[in-house]
Amino acid sequence: MAVRPTAIAVPVGRASRDGLVAAVVRFARKKPLGAAGGVLMLVMLVTAVFADVLQTHDPIATNAAYTLGAPNAEHWLGTDHLGRDIYSRIVHGARVSLVVGVASTLLGSVLGGIIGLLSGYVGGKSDLVTQRVLDILQGLPLLVLALVMSAALGPAVHNVIIAISIPIVPRAARVIRASVLSIREMQYVEAARALGVRHVRIAFRHILPNTIGPFIVLCTAQLGSAILVEATLSFLTLGVPEPYPSWGRMLSVSAAEYAQKAPHLVLFPGVAISLVVFGSNLLGDALRDTLDPRLRGS
Amino acid sequence: MSRARIAPFPALLIAFVVGAGLISPAASQTASAPTPKSGGVLNMMLREDLSQGFAIHETSTISTVWPAMPCFNNLVLFDPLKKTESVETIIGELAEKWSWQDNFRNLVFFLRKNVKWHDGQPFTSKDVKFTFDMLREAPDAPAKLRINPRKDWYANIEAIEAADPHTAVFRLKKPQPSLLLMLASGYTPIYAAHVPPATYRTACVGTGPFKVKEWRKGEFIEMVRNPDYFVKGRPYLDGLKYFVIVERGTRQAAIQAGKLDASFPGETTKTAAEQLKKAVPQLVITPFSQNVSDNIIMNVKKPPFDNPKVRLAVSHAIDRRALIQAVHQGGAVVGAASAPKPLGFWGLSEKDLMGLPGYAARPADEKALAKKLMGEVGFSPEKPLRVEIVTRAIAVYVDMASFVINELKQIGIDASLKQIETAQWHAMATRGDYQIGANLTGIGPDDPDANLYENYACGSPRNYSQYCSEEVMKMIDAQSQELDPKKRLTLNYAIQRKLEADAARPILDWKLDYFTVWPHVKNLIPHQSIYNFGRMQEVWSDK
Repeated sequence: MAVRPTAIAVPVGRASRDGLVAAVVRFARKKPLGAAGGVLMLVMLVTAVFADVLQTHDPIATNAAYTLGAPNAEHWLGTDHLGRDIYSRIVHGARVSLVVGVASTLLGSVLGGIIGLLSGYVGGKSDLVTQRVLDILQGLPLLVLALVMSAALGPAVHNVIIAISIPIVPRAARVIRASVLSIREMQYVEAARALGVRHVRIAFRHILPNTIGPFIVLCTAQLGSAILVEATLSFLTLGVPEPYPSWGRMLSVSAAEYAQKAPHLVLFPGVAISLVVFGSNLLGDALRDTLDPRLRGS
Repeated sequence: MSRARIAPFPALLIAFVVGAGLISPAASQTASAPTPKSGGVLNMMLREDLSQGFAIHETSTISTVWPAMPCFNNLVLFDPLKKTESVETIIGELAEKWSWQDNFRNLVFFLRKNVKWHDGQPFTSKDVKFTFDMLREAPDAPAKLRINPRKDWYANIEAIEAADPHTAVFRLKKPQPSLLLMLASGYTPIYAAHVPPATYRTACVGTGPFKVKEWRKGEFIEMVRNPDYFVKGRPYLDGLKYFVIVERGTRQAAIQAGKLDASFPGETTKTAAEQLKKAVPQLVITPFSQNVSDNIIMNVKKPPFDNPKVRLAVSHAIDRRALIQAVHQGGAVVGAASAPKPLGFWGLSEKDLMGLPGYAARPADEKALAKKLMGEVGFSPEKPLRVEIVTRAIAVYVDMASFVINELKQIGIDASLKQIETAQWHAMATRGDYQIGANLTGIGPDDPDANLYENYACGSPRNYSQYCSEEVMKMIDAQSQELDPKKRLTLNYAIQRKLEADAARPILDWKLDYFTVWPHVKNLIPHQSIYNFGRMQEVWSDK
């Protein structure tokens, strides 16, 4: 008896979804710490996306009757020196941290990726000059460069994104260039050249897709640093301006001055920053181990 | 002087600060300390670097006055050892004696002899004439300031005459007894005629008790004793060192750890003081009036605040009492354009403020009124007016601005905050290059002339709102010439009511500071204004 086709038909996309689920399960089994990091990042993502739903109070609403309040049933994590609900501010702070972290990482990585791709593919003197410029930029620590940029541009979300993304550019360019240098010598690239394919097409169509592995690893690794730098800039009052909540600024406003009287002011934002950076690093390390052929199976 | 402070004022102030529960017995001992000792260096703090160097005449911030005052002298000064400032507590500095003549139309100063500038040049009446001709922008003034914030303090001076090297005569257009109080403020040092005013932005040539040894930008200012100082045996200290510490918590930690000897005037909140006292019980904490108000500046020349309804809505919207609790933890009082009793003498009391915008018994009523006004100009919380609120990038400003933004949000004004560095702030505000600002206004002496001419006179560089009313100007001039203290007080009450009713610059509160020193610091006595007690001539260290 013939099997009815509908009984065995696989819906479009189902196979890939199953494959993705299987890959995630496989990844979680092989890299449980990385999976834990992924869960932390997922929690942050959900918190950031649904901040308006998860908040219990308006994050900028002040309450003169309950300043420096300890955690209680109404204010789960207490209130700050202006009576603002710390839980709601942390929830909204996740949005700021995620937006700034992801946007600056993507901006810096894409820009650096393109520079690395072109520099590595073209080679010669232009590569030499580009690399020396990147050497100079890379000589400055991420935080110092971000500090200078932020001080010059002024405190605003878009300026913070630019300030953090620029120091990421040389790091991304280096990683992508290294991949390009090995890929461009491969036979299929030589074959494409022999067939007269234009350089731009070779670079963007045949080489770039093969650098996606290192690119993902780079982005994940930089995300944690970017979030930390955002918190640091905000701590130094160069980040996202008041009254919008930012984890770093929450530490800055309350640190030292009120910490003795209300330790929850520094405790909860500090824990939030630590968890997210920790999660991002765990995930980044696991992805690197999984995607880098030299480390695969180690 | 007929216009002396009323007697109960000091008692009221002391009662107020004792009631605050923070005054230390040591604070009252400070004034009657044992025999002073010479020597030692005092380590002090700055909340930011000097944006205009030592050029006191080109700034209007305690950030400059506090570290620059030890380099200079005035003609007269409020007695550093007396907490309360009045015409009776004024002492001579570069002037040995002074005399009012012609019913307060001429003020004659008899100057000290053998006073030298820090570069060795002699001080004479030429320096006095040079300074005040420059300040009042006389047609034949030999020098001009880049920015002259208190120009209107001296608008009534018709001429300065240097009769001889040691006599200077101020001829006034009309009687103005208050001029002497303005001359006694830390904001009124004498500049050297032989030194271009621009020099003070990077260096300091004064006659004061301390000379500037080194200014390392962003780090510290080091001053050393002036060995040629004209007051023999002063200063007691060998030197002063002011460290720039931008972060408020770090400053607090530094004083708590004993790295610094004194706090920065105006920067210690009530909560911080409580924490410091708990951590280090021997610290001497003195609550005192800063003579600084929190207020809202709205540019009346630019939309949307050229519309009086929007300005009034803002004034109605802000719950002053809640702000005092939330931002200052109770360390401030409500008031109008002048500091109220017991912090000052001229201000409206809380009872007098009833009926003025922002002072209804129920804040909800004020919010409803504000919403109604905003509705009349087409805005609501659902369809908000979007504005940019500016403030200085200093914690005390940002806290206040954060509170205000939340208040405005409730009546349909969606404000984003822009923080401005001090170096740009005053120039920006003077140009009127803003819509709305969360501002702090400090007044040199507690006197209506200093306050009203500086902050509300038409065309004054410090009239940031650019509010200008012919009626108010007439009232300001009338109170300035009024010699009967009761009548003058009544006039001032009327002016303050008019200013609040017009939302010229809605005043939110008058702040207290909790000035903190270690017990070994003697004779550093806070006055009723943060701008007048930084000379350091009498300060000594009992270490």
